[in-house]
Amino acid sequence: MEFDWTTFALEIINFLILVWILKRFLYRPVLDVIARRRAGVEKTLADAKRIEAEAGELRQRCECELAQWEKDKEAAQARLREELAMERERLMAGLEASIAEERERRRVLDERRQHDFQRAVEEQGIAQGAAFSARLLGRVATPELEARLYALLLEDLRSLRPEDKRAVAEAAAVPGLELRVQSAFALDEGRRAELARALAEATGKTLPVEYRENPDLLAGFHVAIGPWILHANLRDELKFFSGALRYAG
Amino acid sequence: MEAAAIWFHFGPFAITSVVVTTWGVMLALTLFCWLSTRHLTLDPGPLQTMLEGVVSAIEAAIDAVLPGRAQLLLPFIGTLWIYILISNLLGIIPGLHSPMGNLSVTSGLALLVFLSVHWFGVRSEGVRRYLRHYLSPSPILLPFHLISEVTRTAALAVRLFGNIMSLEMAALLVLLVAGLLAPVPLLMLHIVEATVQAYIFGMLALIYVAGAMQSQQNLEHNEEGDGNG
Repeated sequence: MEFDWTTFALEIINFLILVWILKRFLYRPVLDVIARRRAGVEKTLADAKRIEAEAGELRQRCECELAQWEKDKEAAQARLREELAMERERLMAGLEASIAEERERRRVLDERRQHDFQRAVEEQGIAQGAAFSARLLGRVATPELEARLYALLLEDLRSLRPEDKRAVAEAAAVPGLELRVQSAFALDEGRRAELARALAEATGKTLPVEYRENPDLLAGFHVAIGPWILHANLRDELKFFSGALRYAG
Repeated sequence: MEAAAIWFHFGPFAITSVVVTTWGVMLALTLFCWLSTRHLTLDPGPLQTMLEGVVSAIEAAIDAVLPGRAQLLLPFIGTLWIYILISNLLGIIPGLHSPMGNLSVTSGLALLVFLSVHWFGVRSEGVRRYLRHYLSPSPILLPFHLISEVTRTAALAVRLFGNIMSLEMAALLVLLVAGLLAPVPLLMLHIVEATVQAYIFGMLALIYVAGAMQSQQNLEHNEEGDGNG
């Protein structure tokens, strides 16, 4: 065990140099990179915390907005329900009004249809009555009845009212006018001459007369003086009777 | 154990094989550290991970003893651990001897520890406050403090020197007596012993420095305890 002062001193110097070398080339670079990594990790952590805080804030804001949206939605729904109720009431009122109007229209229509039906029934009854009367009168239409109607025709011609006489005279004033007399049965010469005189008295002048038989008249006469017509037969009387009934109905 | 061989003379100074071995260790460490820390990245590879693990472990050990002062003590304590460990392990290589088997080397390191204790203590507490702890708890204990300073420094040097020297000698004796492969288990023990001795030297140095840096705090704490009592 030998102690060497030179080795002792050089060892001290060597160690101090080694301390500097390791500090320069080992500790400082390694500690620097560790510090940089730690700073990076801390920065990442700080960023993560910041992002977490921002996320929390965003979440809170979103929750507030959702709550506000929920309130708005409920208010909008309430408003919509109210508007729907009002619209339903309005539509129901309109519908009721239209139903009432339709009901009134249908009532009027039913009344009209009923009236028309009643009128049709009446007309049918009148027509049936007229047909029945015509058939009945046809069975009783005889030359005797026509003689009575002939007497009635003469009486009517002789008892014309003044205004009727003027009308007949105006009708007969047409130049070239020919009087037409229709009868259910044939007229003999005596009656034709007597009727011609009665017509001449009624018209105020002597005009040619055409005689013709028309069985449709049943019994009686149909005298045409231009546009002026004198009815004295059962067919026309039945027509007048039916028309009177319709008018009365 | 025979004296270290003198390789050459530099003026009046004889440069021994121990010094040359130390230079070799320094050169190897310098090259390794320079090459391995040239391109450190935030995404470390295996070598960088190993380096960061070593430095972080040393820093954590210092911080555990002296919280908050790891950056200050890391170069000195860390270099002690690394240098002594590598020097101790050199003894395993045939033809090389550990520099720690030389009392001049361990004495030099022990002297550096002795000086660094006072350097860091004065730097941390100031001269007056640092020197006060020699008078606590009673000025009567001043001689014992001074004896303690010398003896613990000597113990540091002799402990490391004795252990490493005895290890190499034991391995040599077993090799001479039992043959070529018989010392292998002893060499395995050498690895463990080298590691443990490096750890003990560095940890004791750390504890001494920590005691010096915390001496005033301990004194104030004791005075407060006496006042309360």
